[in-house]
Amino acid sequence: MSQVIACYKWVADEADIRINADLSVDLSKAKGKISDYDKNVIEAAVQAAAALGGKAVGVTFGTADAKPSLKDALSRGLDEACYINAQEASQADGAATARALAAAIKKIADVGLIICAEGASDTYSRQTAPRIGALLDLPVVTSVSKMDINGNILTAARKLDDCMQTVKVELPAVVAVLPEINPAPIPGLKAVLAAGKKTVTELKAADLGADLTPRSTVSEVKGYVMNRKNIIFNEGDLAEQVKALAAALRKEGVL
Amino acid sequence: MSQAEDKFDSIIVGAGPAGSACAYTLAKAGKNVLLIERGDTPGAKNVTGGRIYTYALEMLEPGLYAEAALERRVTHEQIMLLGGERAITVDFHQPGFNAGDQAPMSFTILRAVFDEWLAAKAEEAGAIVACGIKVDRLIEQEGRIVGVVAGEDEMYADVVIAADGVNSLMAQEAGLIKDIAAKNVGVGVKEVIELPEQTISERFNLRTDEGAARMLLGCTEGIHGGGFLYTNKQSISLGCVFTPEEVARHRKSVQEIFQDLKMHPAIAPLIADGESIEYSAHLVSEAGFRGIHPRLYREGFLMVGDAAGFVVNTGYSIRGIDLAIVSGIAAAKAIIAAAENIALAGPNYMQELNRLKLMPTMKATDGYFEVLETPWLYDKIPNLANDVMEKLFKVDGETPSGVKENVLGAIKANGLSIWQLTKLGIKGVRSL
Repeated sequence: MSQVIACYKWVADEADIRINADLSVDLSKAKGKISDYDKNVIEAAVQAAAALGGKAVGVTFGTADAKPSLKDALSRGLDEACYINAQEASQADGAATARALAAAIKKIADVGLIICAEGASDTYSRQTAPRIGALLDLPVVTSVSKMDINGNILTAARKLDDCMQTVKVELPAVVAVLPEINPAPIPGLKAVLAAGKKTVTELKAADLGADLTPRSTVSEVKGYVMNRKNIIFNEGDLAEQVKALAAALRKEGVL
Repeated sequence: MSQAEDKFDSIIVGAGPAGSACAYTLAKAGKNVLLIERGDTPGAKNVTGGRIYTYALEMLEPGLYAEAALERRVTHEQIMLLGGERAITVDFHQPGFNAGDQAPMSFTILRAVFDEWLAAKAEEAGAIVACGIKVDRLIEQEGRIVGVVAGEDEMYADVVIAADGVNSLMAQEAGLIKDIAAKNVGVGVKEVIELPEQTISERFNLRTDEGAARMLLGCTEGIHGGGFLYTNKQSISLGCVFTPEEVARHRKSVQEIFQDLKMHPAIAPLIADGESIEYSAHLVSEAGFRGIHPRLYREGFLMVGDAAGFVVNTGYSIRGIDLAIVSGIAAAKAIIAAAENIALAGPNYMQELNRLKLMPTMKATDGYFEVLETPWLYDKIPNLANDVMEKLFKVDGETPSGVKENVLGAIKANGLSIWQLTKLGIKGVRSL
């Protein structure tokens, strides 16, 4: 029970995404990148693998476009990567994604821990970890901001709305981590060079034996505009204006 | 990690055109090459306005241009003189620059795309490309450069090639150049303005895939410098270059002068309704032949491209990308020829620079530097030209004065003398 899986997603770089005047979304100029939160996932997996004395293995489910992710992911310290190269990834919902990842993870022996991000930086649907847990019948701990591994017991600090919760779980397990779990270092030269020599296993959809049909389909993606309220408080003297402003802010729930 | 894994035949710092061309040539010859780039992708750190002369790509590999990431074939070479609200545009159209049966002469390019393509070609040829890595230092042993340090990692090579651009930190590390001299550089700003392909073709009178390259004079408020405009497929690259010392003393900022240029009656309609999708600023090597560093190598170390100072500014065109590629090829050939004795790489490189006509090109255009040093070239001359034009074309029913009187009057009105212009003319003729 010593291998650690890092699930990561290749997403469009939001810096290159453009919203047109008609609010349609232009992805044509967007380059790909590893979802920012998944960089923390990879680092967490590398650290956990060191604690467990096993290997850190990256698993990604993406289209042919996701291939460049492998070198980047491996340069971040993973020992190996498993790349599910399937066109289905472009239409996949949370269920299909989790089924693909779970099927690939099943092929990897001796898995002690599966780490996902709380959500991906594009969709942030927060489904991958819980669904993988369900599919593989493993315990799931979400919103993890800190974790320690001692033997086969993982102690996780969960960051909840208004409190912290400490949870102990026996491995194997699935955890969904928050970005603050670690500072995800930028890979150095030797790490980048070593990445090119690491093992990548490429799987096709047919190799998985999993149903990748999405149950939900995306009908539209649109930008949105936050309309300003444009309220001017100019009635009465200054004291009254301030009063009106404070009342309005209170009504909005910001005071 | 064993010594073998820490050592390459060559390490190239910087994946611009010079570095990638060098890596491509070395890798094709079976050399073990590491190409290190600071940006997350090649071209990410780049600001060049963007045109490439294809002879350089042909030199790299015949026919390579056909698959290169290029924008439009330049068939319109333009010079624009701005004087106040007025403008004179010279447009030389040679559709032959666009002939189908031979390699076209020149293309506009977007460097972020082009550099990434060329680095990918080098990688395909077998070079190892490492992006997002900043090289901090060189490693020196017994007077030789033997490797680089990046963060906590050391990497060794027979030769380190500095392709890290103008103000090369590697060359400074190697002790071959000092910190940059302000008089040898310009500070450049550029915007990429997006417009529909058809709109660009219409505004510049271009047929399908034709492009225009335009140099602008008189857009820098008298500061030593000029502007450039390149038509890409779906965008226009518009920029200005200024001498930093003069800008520092000027009452307006670079950004303000550049905004004025965008508002100029002769420029505004060209970019109207366009969206600025990129703004950048960078240093540009300006000194031509005399800007080339006196020593371009030491044992285990070569400098190529902008790092070496290979930029030519004639006033009517700027060349740098083609020279960068040629110098990268020259360095690679020099290293390949020095396989038996790597100490010969430096002297070989100087020979290759001559053989590939790079040094002769730099030398031949040296005179332009002095012409371009003329302080009143940047405001009075373009204004004078516009004054003469205005008098020439203005019809108001009065008795027209002779052309000669017009010209003499305009010269005087611009605070210039025949003598000054004659001297400039002589300098100009000499520089040719």
